[in-house]
Amino acid sequence: MTSRGTPSRFLQSVLQNGLGRYVCQLKRISLIFSKKSPSSRGVREFIEEGVVDFAKKNPGTVVYVSPQSCTTPKIVAEYLNGNVREEAVHSKAAQEVAALVQKLSEQSGLDVIRIRKPFHTNSPSIQGQWHPFTNRPPSIGPVQPRKTPQ
Amino acid sequence: MAAIWRNALREALRSGWRLCGNKFPSPLQTHTGFLLPVVAGSQSITNLPRLVPETYLSRPPWPELPAIDHVEEAKRHQAVVQKVNTILTSREYGRLFAVVHFASRQWKVTNEDLIIIENHIDVECGERIRLEKVLLAGGEDFTLIGRPLLSRDLVRVEATVIEKTESWPRVEMWFRKRHRYQRKRIIIQPQTVLRINTVEIAPNLL
Repeated sequence: MTSRGTPSRFLQSVLQNGLGRYVCQLKRISLIFSKKSPSSRGVREFIEEGVVDFAKKNPGTVVYVSPQSCTTPKIVAEYLNGNVREEAVHSKAAQEVAALVQKLSEQSGLDVIRIRKPFHTNSPSIQGQWHPFTNRPPSIGPVQPRKTPQ
Repeated sequence: MAAIWRNALREALRSGWRLCGNKFPSPLQTHTGFLLPVVAGSQSITNLPRLVPETYLSRPPWPELPAIDHVEEAKRHQAVVQKVNTILTSREYGRLFAVVHFASRQWKVTNEDLIIIENHIDVECGERIRLEKVLLAGGEDFTLIGRPLLSRDLVRVEATVIEKTESWPRVEMWFRKRHRYQRKRIIIQPQTVLRINTVEIAPNLL
C-alpha cells in the first residue's frame, strides 16, 4: 500500500535538543480517572504503585492526578513545544498504563507521522559535492574533444 | 627398482582412468613431469611457443605498466601519513565526518546530525553512547579508510539518545478480489532518535 498521500515531515528535534544537554520534553501529564468505575481500575492501581516513583524519576515533569466522575479514564500529556496528546486508557492494566506513561515521557511531542528520511544534517557535504572531475589527476590535462583518427 | 614398479602401477592406473573419461593429461606428460626436477619443468613451460597467434586480441590494448617499486611506495605512504598527522595536530581540518555502522546500516554522520533507528536500544533517554564501528573518517582535505574498521583509539564518535518513539501506524492490507478474502494488520515500529555529539580523530596515525 502506497503512502504518498499521508502527511509527512522530516526528522527534527525540538530546539536542538541534545546538543548541549538533554531536556525531557514532557511538561505536564495529568491522569484523569474515576474513583468508582471498574474501567479505571488499572489507573487507580498505577497511582497507588508507580506514580510517585515516576514523578521522582522525572523532576522536570508535573504530574496531576485528578479523580473525576468520568466513564473513560484518560492521560493528557502536554509537551514543551505546545502539543497536547490525549490517550484513552479504558480498562487497561496497571502495567500497560505505566508503559504508556513511560512512552509519553520519552517522546518529544512532535507529530507521529511519516518521516521522509531517517537522517537530518545541516552540512550535507564536507569535502564538496562530487562531480565527474573530482580526483582527476592533472597529468591527464584539461578536458578537450577527442581527436578524430587520421 | 621400487620407483620403476611404482611408475608401472601409475601407468596402469592412468590407463584405467582414461577408460572412464578422457579428461586426464597424457601418460607421457605425467611421466616426464615425475622424473624431471621442478626447475626444469618450469623452464620448459616458459620456453613453450605461444599457442595464441599475435593478433590485436592476444594482449591487452593498454600499455604494460612498470612493476611496483615497494621502496618508493613506502616512501610515498610515509609522506602522506606525515601530512595528515600535521593536519590533525594543528587542527586545521574544519568539520569532521565519519561513516559508522549502526543498527545494521551505514550512516554518514557529522556533528549535530540526527539519525533515526528502527528499534529501541537499551539506553535511557538523555544518555550518551559511543558508536564504535567506524568504517571511515575524514575532514576537508583527507580521508581515513578502515580495513574494514578504524581502531577505537583513533576515532571517537558519540551520540545522545534524545527520543524513543514509535513510527506512524503502517497499514498492511491483503485483498483478493472475488474471493471474500481480506486481512488488515497495523504495524507500529519502535524507533530511537540519536543526536551525534562528537566526531573526533586522535593524531596518532602510524
